[in-house]
Amino acid sequence: MTEAAEVKIDDPGIQRFREERDQFTNLGAMIGLIDDPEVKLNVRITAFVAKARQKIVDAYEQGRPFIANNYCTAPELGLAMDLPWFMLFDAPFTLMGRQSLHEVIDESVAMGLGSDLCTAIRTNIYYVEKNLVPVPTAAVGFVFPCDGMPMLHQVMGHSSSSWRDVPLICPDPAPYFADGNIESIDYFANELRKTAAFLTEHTGNKLDMDKLKEVIDESNKHYELWQEYNDLRRAVPAPHGHSMGGQTCYSMAQIFGVGDPDVTTWFQDLVDLTEEKVAAGKGVIPEGKKEIRLFWFDLNPTTFADQFMPWLEEEYGAVMVMDMLGYHDYTTIDTSSEEEIWRGLAKRGLFDTPMVRQSIGTADGFVKDLHRVVEDFKIDVVIWPGHMGHKEMLGTYGIMREACRELGVHFFDIRMDIWDDRYTPIDQVKDKFTRFFEAAGYA
Amino acid sequence: MNTPIKSEAFSIMTQATAGLENPAIDEWKAQGGKTIGYFCSMLPEELFLAGGLLPFRMRATGSEGTDGGDSYFTNNNCTFVRHCFSVALDGGYDFLDGVVVINSCDQIRRLYDNWLHKDISPFVHMVALPRQSGPDQVEWYTGEFHRLRKSIEEHFKVEITDKGLREAIAVMNETRRLQREVYELRKRERPPITGAETMAIMVAGTAMPKVRYNELLRELLTELETRELETTYRARIMVTGGILDDPTWMEAVEEVGGLVVTDGTCFGGRLMHCDVDEDIVDPMEALSQYYLADRPSCPRMIDTQVKRKNYTVDLAREFNCDGIIGEKMMFCDMWQVEQFMMTMDLKEEEIPFLKLEREYITSGTGQLKTRVQAFIETMGK
Ligand code: SF4
Ligand code: SF4
Repeated sequence: MTEAAEVKIDDPGIQRFREERDQFTNLGAMIGLIDDPEVKLNVRITAFVAKARQKIVDAYEQGRPFIANNYCTAPELGLAMDLPWFMLFDAPFTLMGRQSLHEVIDESVAMGLGSDLCTAIRTNIYYVEKNLVPVPTAAVGFVFPCDGMPMLHQVMGHSSSSWRDVPLICPDPAPYFADGNIESIDYFANELRKTAAFLTEHTGNKLDMDKLKEVIDESNKHYELWQEYNDLRRAVPAPHGHSMGGQTCYSMAQIFGVGDPDVTTWFQDLVDLTEEKVAAGKGVIPEGKKEIRLFWFDLNPTTFADQFMPWLEEEYGAVMVMDMLGYHDYTTIDTSSEEEIWRGLAKRGLFDTPMVRQSIGTADGFVKDLHRVVEDFKIDVVIWPGHMGHKEMLGTYGIMREACRELGVHFFDIRMDIWDDRYTPIDQVKDKFTRFFEAAGYA
Repeated sequence: MNTPIKSEAFSIMTQATAGLENPAIDEWKAQGGKTIGYFCSMLPEELFLAGGLLPFRMRATGSEGTDGGDSYFTNNNCTFVRHCFSVALDGGYDFLDGVVVINSCDQIRRLYDNWLHKDISPFVHMVALPRQSGPDQVEWYTGEFHRLRKSIEEHFKVEITDKGLREAIAVMNETRRLQREVYELRKRERPPITGAETMAIMVAGTAMPKVRYNELLRELLTELETRELETTYRARIMVTGGILDDPTWMEAVEEVGGLVVTDGTCFGGRLMHCDVDEDIVDPMEALSQYYLADRPSCPRMIDTQVKRKNYTVDLAREFNCDGIIGEKMMFCDMWQVEQFMMTMDLKEEEIPFLKLEREYITSGTGQLKTRVQAFIETMGK
């Protein structure tokens, strides 16, 4: 009997990661040619994404374990346990080249997922079903902040999925609904401890508490600098709009650059650059225009924000001073004891992380954040995108509207799909803004 | 057309199902009794009973629109929630002395927020439900029940004793046993009761004093023992899904020849599939174990997909069903994805499956009937 050469069947998810690595690298090289310090800062993000993809590809090719984890279930663990990780739930964020987002959305509906299901969930289920997410050694699930997420995880474990045999642990949030509730934090801290033990059991890699402390000390720096940066964004005129900070800070601190010293440098450069701009009194809106300060109370629609936000700035001087993912109130983690480390990670995941903090809690939390942002950032208009998937946010419609009325700021309700620009076409979005600005006396 | 069920028990039950406040509740209140509404079947009715309260499972039967609710929710929210809130704003739940809510889904949690915001009820309590059903979660949930117990005791100035809880468990286990007997009769080739009638019975059980309800069930069972439906049906159907409390929906299915012989819904079969374990010493722990881990759950609980599938398949086979209809409310993410998985599972099991979306209030059954008719035809019936 002749011995057949071992043929390594490639994981299609890994192939996608290779493609994305190359696409982000090329994108970086292309926009890197633009001689603008802010653009250059954003270009560095593409390198961090490419690096994160490369780490997974390397682990796969070298037969080392790698995992899926999430931004609110102690992403620091991956680095501390020497386990390259990727965020399971990143399909609509990083989707490039292979298929357009529109195609993926349409195919997910054709697969039997209704169009009223959050597009982020639909596209991720599609990716799992089509084997386009690398199959990791083990996975840490994320069963909040919305009802869609636990369903995505059940599809992963379903008998039809290539992930069905992947060991999966889902830290359970079981929260009391008060911000910072200590019982909830302790419960979740215990869930995170179990997560570390589970990862050891399934990957063989042990958790080194000194390493975890080191990673957290570094990520604490990210959060401190992020806070400094956000304080600078309070300036009038606003130094940055939708294209800087905000969601990119979140993706650096919590997804692609967790605990990475290079990311600390990136944050420092962001702060330095912004400080200079603020000191010079430079803003994003054209000179001579009166600034209308917007708070975008949801995720920034990154895939199509460019189609209307620059128009808002130029036409109306309306600038997105803050958005829900950019806003945060992180406390740094006390690394003086193991106990505090776990508590700190739990608190960060449950009560500090934007979207999670608002969506798993009661509407009180939402209203508190709204008050704080409106006051700190001198907001004129709260934009409530009314994302079709955010059923729990949609359930605060009346409460938020009335809270804005009490605060004396405008509440502007769009109703859109933050991933799909066909849901409320851009022309309609612009038209709504125009009518709103006219009615509110801004135009 | 079948001759209607004759017993008075059945007419009392249908009265309780036809609207919200009903004569049985009025009678209870006239005697000074307090009534508590609760959202979702994962809450322990036994705890309310032991506190001397009459538990009323929240629904919005008879709601005429979502106008009030639409000022606080949007048209992408599920209509159950919007109808309930509209009824609340119109004072339709004023007969309740309080409401207990659970974070069973995002939309119900927001209903709680709005309930507080508009100051609808004098007593409102939220219970935090975990997403999984393992031992740690059972422990957490027991803690939640203790919190609920304390807040009921404080607000209603009652004492909930372990003895009282054990008695309540025994009463509710009896309810479940009797309901299972009704379902058991539906296994017959010619069942004595339709799906719509059964639904009325099940819903009534959530809207009247339990001891009285058990008596009515016993009386009804005597009649059902010898009854046989006169109409012949083309197919035996199982219905599965979430909140379905409207017998007219079932009627529509049955009018085109699909006799509903069992269901896995949360007003129906899932409520009484098994009993609370009376051998567990601590009744609070027994309740937590039952509601969180033992009973067939909905897709809310992420570690139960295989269990849910097996429950559905086993039930369909036990009741000799020709096909399964999965109903879900529009804008319900959990049941949406559940149906996606169920489609694959039931195909593998070679059980015909029809997915149907619905609004909470059944209005106009034409399209529903056409779909069911076509489904029955595809089964060659
Ligand atoms: S965008 Fe909102 S609804 Fe969609 S998956 Fe995220 S939290 Fe859930
Ligand atoms: S139907 Fe779905 S969304 Fe509506 S209340 Fe029930 S679980 Fe929640």
